[in-house]
Amino acid sequence: MHVLENVPRTPRPAKEAFLDGPEETDGSSGARDPAEEKLLDGCRAGDVAAFERLYELHGARMKSIARNLLGHETDAEDAVQEAFLKIYRGAASFRGSAALSTWIYRILVNTCYDLLRRRKRHPEDALETPSGGGEGSALPAPAGDHPLRIAIEQSLSKLAPRQRTVFLLSAVEGFSHREIAGVLEVSEGASRTLLFEAKRRLQDLLWTSGARGRASA
Amino acid sequence: MTGRCTRAQEALKRNDPSAIERLRVHAARCAECAEPLALWDEIASAAPSLRREWESPRLFPKIAAAIDTEKFSRPAVAEAPAAPASSRKFQWIPMAAAASLFVVAMVGLQVFRNSGGREPLVNAASTSNPLLTDRSLEEVETAEANYVRSIERLSVLARPRIANPTTPLFVNYREKLQLLDSAIVEIRAQIEMNRFNSHLRRELLAMYQEKQRTLQELMKEATS
Repeated sequence: MHVLENVPRTPRPAKEAFLDGPEETDGSSGARDPAEEKLLDGCRAGDVAAFERLYELHGARMKSIARNLLGHETDAEDAVQEAFLKIYRGAASFRGSAALSTWIYRILVNTCYDLLRRRKRHPEDALETPSGGGEGSALPAPAGDHPLRIAIEQSLSKLAPRQRTVFLLSAVEGFSHREIAGVLEVSEGASRTLLFEAKRRLQDLLWTSGARGRASA
Repeated sequence: MTGRCTRAQEALKRNDPSAIERLRVHAARCAECAEPLALWDEIASAAPSLRREWESPRLFPKIAAAIDTEKFSRPAVAEAPAAPASSRKFQWIPMAAAASLFVVAMVGLQVFRNSGGREPLVNAASTSNPLLTDRSLEEVETAEANYVRSIERLSVLARPRIANPTTPLFVNYREKLQLLDSAIVEIRAQIEMNRFNSHLRRELLAMYQEKQRTLQELMKEATS
């Protein structure tokens, strides 16, 4: 029995472009889109307008990825801010071996990993685990939130970091395996395997926790 | 999930649409595969709802401010790579500045060591006390104040050139001045804790001299 007819779906933009460019642009090297080249030049020069454009293009998605990796909106915003600073610092030496978007998402993911490592070393600095409310903390659960969605969110923290990242990038954000391979600097095959492992682990966790049964009821 | 039929696992691992379609056909008559496939579909369908969106009107202004601060404190990061190839001939300047600072520091250290740390800064005849006397301290502070006044006057004249460097040479001058400023701040902080330390005073004077000389060179270049 499928239970998801009632699951509130966040509308995903129709084949949301990974880049503000051709659909099939991936993480591989190649001739750069002139608009992207211009954007990169602006970033290299420290032009705030260029960063604003970059933020318009990728900010929402960066926040979502960071929020799901870190579990908290405030941390996510800190990570996005730090990632932008790293983009500014690194833009001059970025030689374009990858697409600009691949590079910025790579920076973001690594920044989130750094924050998680820091949190492990200094647990006293960590914000409380989101519990679904509170100003400036976790977002309140969407109206009509489905138990399965909540159960998946809770189970995500039990996945290995790479599995979690691939699941978030692929299943949640809609990145292709080519794009994920570029962001995480792994092969496409490895990306597929990590996604499979992540979903299998999630299945086990959902079965074990009984969330799936409750959701299906 | 752990039943005898492994077709579900194999197809899901391949994660290619045709394999999944074949699995669907198979799962219609295989309960062992139907369950994992159903849950698989549920997870896949629920996952996009994990995407979170919220308004952060203050986030980009914070990012822009942080970039501005970074740009101001580390201007060379953004500007140096954009400099034309012809600017390579000026690349020796920062290295020369660093080398000169190193030499100044080494000379200061050597003088201090030779004196066994007991020689006062300005008035050798006054005492063998490793610390400055009140009178010599006054002389040193007067000399420092003179340097500071001179440097301030030069800085006012040089400010437009430093704030908006038009050539790589001025970028390098700015970089050198920033280096000197941070060294001065550091030494002054140490002096705050030990005003009578002759070695620190000597280093500070050397820094002031270097800064004054740099500003004079910059002004000379600007007017030539």
